[in-house]
Amino acid sequence: MDFSYSEEQRMLTDSLRRLVTDEWTRPKRRARMGGLDAGAWGSLVELGVGGLMVSEEFGGFGESPATMLAVHQELGRGLVSEPTISSAVMAVTVLNHSDCQALKQRWLSAHADGEAVLAVAWQEAGERDAQRPLCTRATALADGYALDGQKILVWHGAAADGVIVSALLDGESALFMVEQGAQGLSCEDFPTFDGGRAATLRFDRVFVKKEQLIATGAQAQDLLALAIDFGITALCAQACGAMAALTDTTIQYLKTRKQFGQPLAAFQVLQHRLGDMLIQSEMGLSMTYAATIGLAEQDPVKRARLVSMAKIEVAVAARFVGESAVQLHGGMGVTDELEVGDFFKRLTYVDLLLGDTNYHLQRLQDLTV
Amino acid sequence: MDLTWTPEERAFREEVRAFVQAKLPPELRAKTFAHHRLKREDYLTWHRLLAAQGWGAPSWPIEHGGTGWNPLQRLIFEIECFKAGAPRLLPFGLGMIGPVLMKYGSQAQKDRFLSRIITVDDWWCQGYSEPGSGSDLASLKTRAERVGDRYIINGQKTWTTLAHHADWMFCLARTDPTAKAQRGISMILIDMKQPGVQVRPIKTLDGSAEVNEVWLENVEAPLENLIGEENAGWTYAKYLLGHERSGIAGIGHCHRELAILKALAERMMASGESVSLNPRVRDAINRVEAQVLALEMMVLRVATDDTTEPGPKASILKIRGSELQMELAKLQMQVAGAESWPYDPEWMFADSAFHGPGPDYAAAAAAAYFDMRKTAIYGGTNEVQKGIIAKQIIGV
Repeated sequence: MDFSYSEEQRMLTDSLRRLVTDEWTRPKRRARMGGLDAGAWGSLVELGVGGLMVSEEFGGFGESPATMLAVHQELGRGLVSEPTISSAVMAVTVLNHSDCQALKQRWLSAHADGEAVLAVAWQEAGERDAQRPLCTRATALADGYALDGQKILVWHGAAADGVIVSALLDGESALFMVEQGAQGLSCEDFPTFDGGRAATLRFDRVFVKKEQLIATGAQAQDLLALAIDFGITALCAQACGAMAALTDTTIQYLKTRKQFGQPLAAFQVLQHRLGDMLIQSEMGLSMTYAATIGLAEQDPVKRARLVSMAKIEVAVAARFVGESAVQLHGGMGVTDELEVGDFFKRLTYVDLLLGDTNYHLQRLQDLTV
Repeated sequence: MDLTWTPEERAFREEVRAFVQAKLPPELRAKTFAHHRLKREDYLTWHRLLAAQGWGAPSWPIEHGGTGWNPLQRLIFEIECFKAGAPRLLPFGLGMIGPVLMKYGSQAQKDRFLSRIITVDDWWCQGYSEPGSGSDLASLKTRAERVGDRYIINGQKTWTTLAHHADWMFCLARTDPTAKAQRGISMILIDMKQPGVQVRPIKTLDGSAEVNEVWLENVEAPLENLIGEENAGWTYAKYLLGHERSGIAGIGHCHRELAILKALAERMMASGESVSLNPRVRDAINRVEAQVLALEMMVLRVATDDTTEPGPKASILKIRGSELQMELAKLQMQVAGAESWPYDPEWMFADSAFHGPGPDYAAAAAAAYFDMRKTAIYGGTNEVQKGIIAKQIIGV
């Protein structure tokens, strides 16, 4: 085991940090909040974010989960809100591990080149945590399938050129690749509290060709579960980057802001709070390493347990660090005028997305080894 | 000791409940339960309905137009109003400057201002915090210079809640720049509707703008707008903060939010069943309900204890009250889960059509969680409150 970055990882993370420092400043981020900015996405793809997890066979780098951890820490540090998790990690993971050569050829290389953005749509109204489709159905036709139903909370759904959709086919799970703009597909795009986007997708007799079926049955379930576990690990890594940056920002603020004739950093009660932030931040990162190891596990139960544990612990750490940073910034912390609030919101969604804490506690209980 | 409600107290509770039931406009109730933003008119409507009933100043003595209620009655009133979905009462007049005027104001000031507070013919705001003076309020720099028959005031205030609606500000300003910290400060009443007063909204985490920066540039106030004595303002300021902190427990707010939390858990679905059936969620709700009950008992004990000054004990109420307000908001967000993630501040106005993806009652949950962080900061941060407890109650 070696926790130090390889030369390549160091160069990649250095370049990413430079990029996000220059291009993900608060004003620039805010100006791009309405939708996916081609220039911003393009600059990430140029540094390899688009092809990071894509197999080499399809023009990507086929990087390990460890490199994903390093890269996504930098993206979190910069509050990058482009589809780095939903598309570059989750959708790519589904396709990488599927057997559909034609779909891989069509989408993975385009993704690595920045020509296609993807999304995964699996949640349904009233079923926000379930990984099994319940209401969205596929009906077999002579030359393909017809999809009916609705998916909610599709991360960057409106920006996606292709959407991986879960649906019931003959009572079994199935995954389909649906192209944006398909007849009968409507997309309603919403802002999210962190400045991102999520969509509701409605399917009304959407026709998909036979070859757009990615997988069925247990294989479809496994692919989706794997993609979500990769997504959770990337989410945790981004949270760790954000926690580190926010802790630094807060330390700097307490050194500068004076009350009662001395810097706030001189007050022991505030020093202790900073210490606790650092502890939470470090423990969260350590747990994320464990999840990253889990992604390479062949046994899906072991993998799921490590990922769920990380999700639970990082959510707690993220909330503590976010809330503490706001508290230590006092009145300024509750305004929408500093980066602190942006970090706080980003750290808040860690608990809510990709299965909340109660869901993951239940999964741990169900998967006791 | 007798820990039962008397028949009179029970009858009073019924009377309040019946009144609120009959008089609170349903659209106002719907707004508060949905965490929608209240407009100036919403506050005025409720205040004036109460004023017409003779209940416009629940915490004031009868001689000043108040109800003369005892502390228990006031608490019953607060809790019943909040539970029924009434807007909070504006604290700036009733809870802050009103009591200061009664204790330290001149007869002319009492005659001029007190009754107009009850009907909100004057909307007040609090000119305390400044950009460099938050927890260390006594370091404030706003200057008031005596020129002839008036003060000329220059400076900048911040976190001034609802100043954009205000007619008057009670302002702390330095009248003796040579005196040390607390000693050279005066409390002056400033007419907000004059040139030189500039109000700029500060956008907060939930995308709303209830607080403001206020610039005072050569603003004038006649000498008769001074409260009490010149350079003695710190005494009045502290008296006022003692009042603010006892109201800050927000026990009525906690009861209402607990009810909203339970309703939300019933209605939200996850993995095909109501979230309220999840034992982990039920544990959390039962636990917070116990904590709200403990806070209520603590509030009752402090309110009815006439053997000690309420001052330092109010710090306990402030800390626990804010912690519970934050906890209830956090639990609401967790119960709403990922469905509280889509959010647009525009959705929080009842009269703009709701365009969110999920149920409207889920949309406000995360925003309320962000917004409630302020409760651990305003009115003296919880860190400052613990310092007060250590010094004044424990004596170290």
